[in-house]
Amino acid sequence: MEAPQPIIAIRQVSKAFPGVQALKDITIDVLPGELHAICGENGAGKSTLMKILSGVLTDYQGDLILEGKPVRFGGTRDAEAAGVSIIHQELNLVEQLSAAANIFLGREIRGWLGFRDDRAMDEAAGRLLHELECDVSPRALAGSLRVGDQQLIEIAKALSLQSDILIMDEPTSALTEAEVSRLYRVIERLRKRGVTILYISHKLEEIFHLSDRITVLRDGKLVKTLNKKETTSKEVTHLMVGREIEAIDFGNQRKTGDVLLRIESLSIPWPGHARGWRLKDVSFELRRGEVLGIAGLMGAGRTELLECLFGAAAERPTGKIELLGQPVSFRHPREACQSGVALVTEDRKRLGLFAAMNVGENISICTLGETGLAGFINRSREWQMAGATSEQLAVKSSGLSAAITSLSGGNQQKCIIGRWLQTQPQVLLLDDPTRGVDVGAKAELYRLIDGLVRGDKGSGGIGVIMTSSELPELLTVCDRILVLSEGRLTATFSRAEATEHKIMEAATLRGAGFQPVNGESFGETDE
Amino acid sequence: MSPPLAHARRWALPFNELALLVAIVVVAGITAAVDSNHSYIFDPLTSVRDIARNVALLGIFALGAAVVIISGGIDLSAGSMIAFSSTICASTMMLLVPQTMMNMQPVGLLVASAGVLAAIISGVLVGTLHAWLITSVRLPPFVATLATLVGLRSFARAFCGYITAKTLGGSGNTEINVYDPYFKFMRDEVWVVYVPTFLALAAFTYVLLNYTVLGRHLFALGGNEQAARLSGIRTDAVKWFAYCFSAVTAAIAGVFYMADQSVASPVNQGVGYELNAIAAAVVGGCSLQGGIGTVPGVILGVVFLRVVIDSVAKLIKSGSDIYEGMIVGVVVVVAVTFSQLRQIRASGGELFPGKLGLLAIPTLSGMVGIITAMTTANVPYLKGWDLVIGAAAGLLTLAALSITKWVESQRQSK
Repeated sequence: MEAPQPIIAIRQVSKAFPGVQALKDITIDVLPGELHAICGENGAGKSTLMKILSGVLTDYQGDLILEGKPVRFGGTRDAEAAGVSIIHQELNLVEQLSAAANIFLGREIRGWLGFRDDRAMDEAAGRLLHELECDVSPRALAGSLRVGDQQLIEIAKALSLQSDILIMDEPTSALTEAEVSRLYRVIERLRKRGVTILYISHKLEEIFHLSDRITVLRDGKLVKTLNKKETTSKEVTHLMVGREIEAIDFGNQRKTGDVLLRIESLSIPWPGHARGWRLKDVSFELRRGEVLGIAGLMGAGRTELLECLFGAAAERPTGKIELLGQPVSFRHPREACQSGVALVTEDRKRLGLFAAMNVGENISICTLGETGLAGFINRSREWQMAGATSEQLAVKSSGLSAAITSLSGGNQQKCIIGRWLQTQPQVLLLDDPTRGVDVGAKAELYRLIDGLVRGDKGSGGIGVIMTSSELPELLTVCDRILVLSEGRLTATFSRAEATEHKIMEAATLRGAGFQPVNGESFGETDE
Repeated sequence: MSPPLAHARRWALPFNELALLVAIVVVAGITAAVDSNHSYIFDPLTSVRDIARNVALLGIFALGAAVVIISGGIDLSAGSMIAFSSTICASTMMLLVPQTMMNMQPVGLLVASAGVLAAIISGVLVGTLHAWLITSVRLPPFVATLATLVGLRSFARAFCGYITAKTLGGSGNTEINVYDPYFKFMRDEVWVVYVPTFLALAAFTYVLLNYTVLGRHLFALGGNEQAARLSGIRTDAVKWFAYCFSAVTAAIAGVFYMADQSVASPVNQGVGYELNAIAAAVVGGCSLQGGIGTVPGVILGVVFLRVVIDSVAKLIKSGSDIYEGMIVGVVVVVAVTFSQLRQIRASGGELFPGKLGLLAIPTLSGMVGIITAMTTANVPYLKGWDLVIGAAAGLLTLAALSITKWVESQRQSK
């Protein structure tokens, strides 16, 4: 095969963040018109590379060659002018503006005397959206739309720019099955127009369905670029993980004890939203010595459920929560802490870490009062306690005084889990605990969770509720899996009966009057 | 990982503090040499006393400003709080002993203490109001304290008129004179009252920030409010403390300013002082993003600011107070620019990027030229040379900044 000139050539691109080498010497050729998949585990550097390509990150080493000419984007505008658009995983829409205004943001159509021409923009936006099988009004506020439609607005924006190169960063992570197949059709249409697509994903099924070539990244390094026809998903998995995935065997079945937590018809309202609730009539119980998994798409209410159990919900929930047989209603996380509930938050950087503090201070923040008397901190006691925790969890750092930001994602996560273990919780809530954590550290975290519920660290066995955006993880770690869809509990599976397929089916159930997929349904379907 | 090693970091004076210490010595040295009276050399005690008084007065409420800034907030109301507290102090005494106050007689320890106590309580009340506005009404701290910055001064002025009209009859006064010897003693014996109060407050703040749970929670709140709340920290209570501390320190400063001027004057006292306090905290290394700051840094920031102001006063001799705001502004910009410079460079940024940088260079040079010309016009032995010196300073700056820009653009194109 005579290789045509690449439309983008990435040459020895490297990027370091404080404490992390995010990318190292990446060289990739992207051919015109192809769908090139970039895959890798969380934290492999996929998103960083795409941010460089789209001008979001301007400070890096190495070169980009666009159609034979070296370029260096000074910002997203430069990249857009050169024909490169990106659809971010976290969508970048101004929620208070209409769909049309978002599509033409920064490139508003001008009319008479240079005034804004809203009508022309609405019409143009309507045409673009129609082409994408999206039937929302161009005047609808972006914030009121479903995630799938919001994503199409971003794609419409890229189309209106006449981009030759479109980067899609994990576009299906929040979509229902119907929306995914619509996205596939849109991608097909874009390819017919000759648009080159860089498709970031770690879902092999998608990659093999769509792509021509596949580039695998691991730990910021390029592993290999493969032709789809000449490879198998087994090979790609192997390359992504870097070793055979060891089957983690936790030995014999866990023994569950008394009921720690009982939730009855828990609902959280969502004022100002079309759905009206974040959670609706959720009921379940958690026993001592059990790991309960919560599955669901983005926006299904996983995080809201955990926050609510921790007293951190923005709206007041209704329903009953019983902790060890006592009804509780936490108004503040402090009350939850004191009653023995702990929450490790989903977004470590935004909701968990104190970046200006060191490792020891990050571990001790919840238990400072226990170090000394009358509100004083006993520094050496603090350090002793933090040191013990850090040793117990095998945190790799250059010491307790090291900056927390100098640690890898997995070790930062261990520090935060350690912070909560110091409070000796009965119920540990883990919200997507392995996000941005490398494969090796993931296995360590799984073992840690297993040890905690079994109580072989002398902590007497606790109950864990964890969510994850990765189903295999839940299938590995959990005894039972609850599935949420649009705030409702749609299914419960025991470890034996759960499969990825069944869970996905339950997670994409929509609308009223649906039948529970399997097992008993706890959600009342009263509509 | 042993504790002694862990604590080493806390004792070492960081770069910022060392730089400030050097800057203070350099400025004082230059002033001692250049001042035509050489008052730093011939009469050091008077100079030290003047600076100590001003450092103590500013330092007291700069500590309060720093605590709020560390907690991730901002308190713009300190200047008005000073006027408010001095008015409350004087009004309380007026209410208790109107005749004595009017006849310029001593009011006695009990009444004076009641006045001071009322002023401090007024600080707690204002701090509580701020905390309520910020946590319950969810106003941004900037807006909440901007409202009291404007409101409290006017309130104090009206209150002063109301109380004086009530107690003395007539249409009320805009000021209340205070002749009590206790307050005169405060004013005259700088080393007995002002300075020890400041040092005690500084020691209290130091212990608070470094050795208490509340102190750590202040840093946590400023560093990441969401994470602090989700770690079970009662962020509302921590905020209440921060704003009360700030208002109470300003209230104490208010009593001292009243003593210093023998009058409670709501219209004139403490105008614009809130910015001096914030400036001192920022020069001392507090980050306005919150979560970063030290007590030694704030103290050095206050000392540096006052030494520079005093130095200009020594050089210009008369009418230097009109330059005070300008000096504070320049000191803040220069100090913060230097501390930012390393970070900007490290991230590959430029001090004068693109067209904006090109515009900034003549703007800065022009300002340096004009400021130099204006100030040298008042220096006795430079009389008549102001335009020449100003032009020279402007051109030198222009040359220096242009070279910086050129070097930066060379590096960038590489």
